[in-house]
Amino acid sequence: MGKLPSTLLRRPCLTGRLPTISPGFTHTPLAPLIPSPATTTITPLPTLRPTQVRHATFIPRHRRPYQFTQLVQLSDGSTFTVRTTSPQALYRSDKDSRNHILWNPSEASLRNVEVDEAGKLAAFRERYGTAWDLEGGAGKGAAPAAGDKDAAGKKGEAKDAAAPAQEEEQHDSLVDLISAFATVDNSVKGGMSAKAQAKLEKGKKK
Amino acid sequence: MMSAPGRGSALLRKDLRSVHSLVTTEDTDYDPRPDSRHFYEDDSARSVHDEYPRLPPTLCHRGIYLRRDHLPTTTPQTAPNPRHYTIQAGIILTRAPLLTREQTPFENAFYLYQKRLNERLTAPFRPAFYFKPDTALDLDWRLKLRERHGVPAKDIGRYNPRGRMAWNDEVMVGSPVCDPENIREKLLADAELRVSEDGEPIPAEDRVPVERPMPRRTEADEKRDTKRLDRALDKTLYLVVKKGSGEQARWEFPCGLVTTEEALHETAARVLAEAAGVNMNTWIVGRVPVAHHVVAPEFDEATGALRNRGTKIFYLKGRILAGQVTLTKDNLRGVTDFQWLTKDELNGVIPRDLYPSVRNMFELR
Repeated sequence: MGKLPSTLLRRPCLTGRLPTISPGFTHTPLAPLIPSPATTTITPLPTLRPTQVRHATFIPRHRRPYQFTQLVQLSDGSTFTVRTTSPQALYRSDKDSRNHILWNPSEASLRNVEVDEAGKLAAFRERYGTAWDLEGGAGKGAAPAAGDKDAAGKKGEAKDAAAPAQEEEQHDSLVDLISAFATVDNSVKGGMSAKAQAKLEKGKKK
Repeated sequence: MMSAPGRGSALLRKDLRSVHSLVTTEDTDYDPRPDSRHFYEDDSARSVHDEYPRLPPTLCHRGIYLRRDHLPTTTPQTAPNPRHYTIQAGIILTRAPLLTREQTPFENAFYLYQKRLNERLTAPFRPAFYFKPDTALDLDWRLKLRERHGVPAKDIGRYNPRGRMAWNDEVMVGSPVCDPENIREKLLADAELRVSEDGEPIPAEDRVPVERPMPRRTEADEKRDTKRLDRALDKTLYLVVKKGSGEQARWEFPCGLVTTEEALHETAARVLAEAAGVNMNTWIVGRVPVAHHVVAPEFDEATGALRNRGTKIFYLKGRILAGQVTLTKDNLRGVTDFQWLTKDELNGVIPRDLYPSVRNMFELR
């Protein structure tokens, strides 16, 4: 061991110099550390304390799983490496930010284009209107396969479909909306308990 | 005249009156507006005129103002007329890098060291957790593990973290072990299945090769096609357009005069649409210019009359997200050509005096 500065400059040891503090006294003025020539009494060494002291705790290293380097290939062919527990060397992703419409809003090839070769969607629109369409809104989209007559019929239906949409718009506040929904709908059948029903019928018989 | 309302116009009128009394008569017969469109004049320093008097024009061009008590003598005669400048807004359209840059040799060595250090600190690999015994995948794994001399990792070379030479975790300078290209090859070779479903090893000629990832350098890089956007994938590209033809041809960033009804970013968007077409999905980053360039006005030496007005161009930053520049015959800005260039390539293309003005907005490396 070389002569480190820490070994050369040691802290002064005070264990032999400090006076013992007797428990009976609440306040004892400390004796001067450097004893004056008049008082050269040597205090005895302090005895070991009975209380337990906890100096250090062994903290074991966290056990982490073994990790490999994996090559990740995105859908456009670009690659990067990641650390993973999987022993697979190469991971190919089918759908990621490079070919998803959310990250490529102007990419036309990723748009959900309606393919209606059998005309089933057109038939559905002819029967139920366009209110079910996600895009374009009610009464706006017209099926390309439909003829003029069909289109005219569709317009009428589209108007019907557009009516509830207008109704929704006239609710100014949320409270209006809730109160509108809370009204009793008379057209709904049932709603009466069996007991009440029996009572009613009894009254009718009388 | 200008339609600036409120306090600003009042200040302006007051200042203009004082300037008219101070400045020489050369601008009284000069009408800066040839057409009905109103453009901003450089009145940016007008409002601080009282507290911060203007320096002579050479210093003013750099935006330096002095307090009145610092100035030895006020020189009202040299105060530049706002009519000597026009204000333009330009756009520096950028394409963000698509790839991370290549690693330096130090980074290569550092990552290899970290992997080998990690090897010493982690729990050992348990193949039984991942591979059912005696299946094709298990046989494949064992075959490859034997070839790697029992090292489960594919990219750290021959290194045993619990052996006698575990301390020897660094490689010599220029070693291929830490080269990213080499690591990629190792991983691709490992991805190839070498044991058939029956558990028989597949001979080398029958193995299905793994599809190679795309290279860092594209076809446009090889052909040096500066019009394409899929070039220099790890660098930022900047759009420059060519105005004029023959001797007067000049490569610059798209820019145009700011009208009184427009803010800088609105002008920048309009100019971009006029110069480079609308077939681009772009985004202007903020409304604060990232660079500015000043062209000093020219005066007649004999009479001191203004010959050419100076220009102050404020550049905004834009990002291209999709699309490409489309040039038509009847381009509104007289643009005849365009290029997507990197920072280094721009140095020789754009005018020599423009480059220092816009240099600080370029990417750092």
